[in-house]
Amino acid sequence: MNYVEWLRIRNCLRITAIILLILVALAIILRISFARYMSPDAWISHMSLDPGTKVTHAVLPDGTKRMILDSPTDNTHVVIDDYGYAGKHIVVTEPAKKAHQENDNMSVGSIKVTESTHGGMTTTVFDTNGAVPMLYYMGLADVVALIVATILAAPFAREIDGHLELALTKPVSRVRYAIGNIGVDAVGILVASVLTVVAFYLCQLLFETPRLDFSGINARAVVMGVALPLAWYALLCAATTWLRRAYGAVLGFAWPVALVVGGLAALEPNNAVALFVHDVAWVISRLDPLTYVSFASPGTHGGFSYSGSNFGARLLIVWLMFLVYGALAVWQWQRVEA
Amino acid sequence: MSSITISNLRKIYGRSAAVDGLSLEIPGATVFGLLGPNGAGKTTTFKCMLGLARPTSGEIRYDGKILTPSMFERIAYVPERSVLYDWMTVEEHVEMNRRAFASFSSARAFELLATFNVEKHKRARALSKGMRTAVMVALAFAQDAEILVLDEPTGGLDPINQRHVLSLMINEAAKGRSIIFSSHQIGQVERAAEQIAVIDRGRVVLQGLVDDLKGDRKIVEGIFPDTAYTLDGIASDARVARVDRTERIVRILVTAGADEIAARLSASGAMGVRILDLNLEDIFLYSVSPGTATADIVAKGSSS
Repeated sequence: MNYVEWLRIRNCLRITAIILLILVALAIILRISFARYMSPDAWISHMSLDPGTKVTHAVLPDGTKRMILDSPTDNTHVVIDDYGYAGKHIVVTEPAKKAHQENDNMSVGSIKVTESTHGGMTTTVFDTNGAVPMLYYMGLADVVALIVATILAAPFAREIDGHLELALTKPVSRVRYAIGNIGVDAVGILVASVLTVVAFYLCQLLFETPRLDFSGINARAVVMGVALPLAWYALLCAATTWLRRAYGAVLGFAWPVALVVGGLAALEPNNAVALFVHDVAWVISRLDPLTYVSFASPGTHGGFSYSGSNFGARLLIVWLMFLVYGALAVWQWQRVEA
Repeated sequence: MSSITISNLRKIYGRSAAVDGLSLEIPGATVFGLLGPNGAGKTTTFKCMLGLARPTSGEIRYDGKILTPSMFERIAYVPERSVLYDWMTVEEHVEMNRRAFASFSSARAFELLATFNVEKHKRARALSKGMRTAVMVALAFAQDAEILVLDEPTGGLDPINQRHVLSLMINEAAKGRSIIFSSHQIGQVERAAEQIAVIDRGRVVLQGLVDDLKGDRKIVEGIFPDTAYTLDGIASDARVARVDRTERIVRILVTAGADEIAARLSASGAMGVRILDLNLEDIFLYSVSPGTATADIVAKGSSS
């Protein structure tokens, strides 16, 4: 019954898949290009080593390739354990620099860096192939899913624009037809998310064995990451159905309007006019599901965040938005006439 | 048998009534032609019949029942304009209907498309207006519906395909289907329709069996040497339903006694007097042209 919508989704996902495949292809090119730099031997050969540096190679009982560099001149000691695709564990011990007296921890993707200083010596530990927070994957998947949701978000307006005689003369009620359309679009949006996760997983797999972290904030990211594009889709779906033939403008301006309103709502006003604009934008931004993700609540680090103490409430609001906006679209669809 | 009863149908857009108190009884297993000038309300009537537009008042019943979505399993519709999806192929449109209607036959659709010389792999945007109409017709007739509502089903088609469509309509009616169609090509309506209704300004101005409407009525046509002529009381004759003068030419619609009226016209000085059979085009023009004595036509038609 919703075959036309399926075809629309198929076409949209086909384009999405092509773009993601291009990304994977670029990653393959990158992987091949960087192949020579990925072994510790290659690093060493590119380093201008002190003539006194001693390099020792060993293979541990579990198969790990260990390389030890000892530079008496620099008083530097490096131990590299190479686990192949399972990553590397590198420990660098060197004299402490003045600027780095405090301990420091940092994670970027699957790389974790721990730095500690004791007795004038700094020990830096690099661990590659750490667990990648699912938050990163969902962030990327949501970008793609939100774009797909924006493209698909006019199922009824497209029918109103010249195809009502086909859509409304099927042996099914308007409500069932509408819910079917929203349902297949929702599946399409989720498939776009999954495709993105798979594509980026493949990209990571080219360099190391990915390990995904679903714990804590990451689990919340998955739940919100599913809800957010659906709520955004429902918002645009309602808007396009109500504005009928202006649906192209709605889809085209949705992102700029959301960004401007969100930006104005986030600004700290410094005069009466700015305060008024801020307040109006703040109220309008409450209607936008992106608000409940893009702007972190107090206690979080700000920016794109799935965390916050009131996460449950925000998640509930986003899901409610999906239902309410979806219902508004269906209601308007019931009223249209050819 | 699938009869359709339309009672006091009104559809108002803004301040104007597209359909204004239209009542119609369309019997089952027949080809029913709906005629009317542009803007008469034919398409709006069809849309109201199919639930595509909500009537302001009045009701439509199919075999005594109000239209429900499930009834579209046995109702097929060809709209006046192309509503195909430009980006979809003809084949995908067939698949769309196969999935939507239990009674739809893809094989029949492809057979009809082949008859109309439509390539199934083409996208709708690549089809001419006539080919788009042909696709819509093929989709409707492949549905195995009991009622086919066809709004200008031959629009843009070449004469060969127009004849195909008319033959389809007649054949389907012979199988017991109800065909309700509109067309501006009165010759087609005359060929295919057993019954007609003429709509003007949202109302039915004439309805009946085509043969009954024609009845024994004739047109007596004469040409006078100049425009200064008198009809010597012919216009007031009870058998004369209507007189049309166009400069030197006079056309007289008579319900009986055509030979006698022709003789009187000759006696009045007309040359080249001839008696013509009344055709559907005359009936249509008489019923919708301004100042027409439509009531007379209907009254005298039904008494003849």
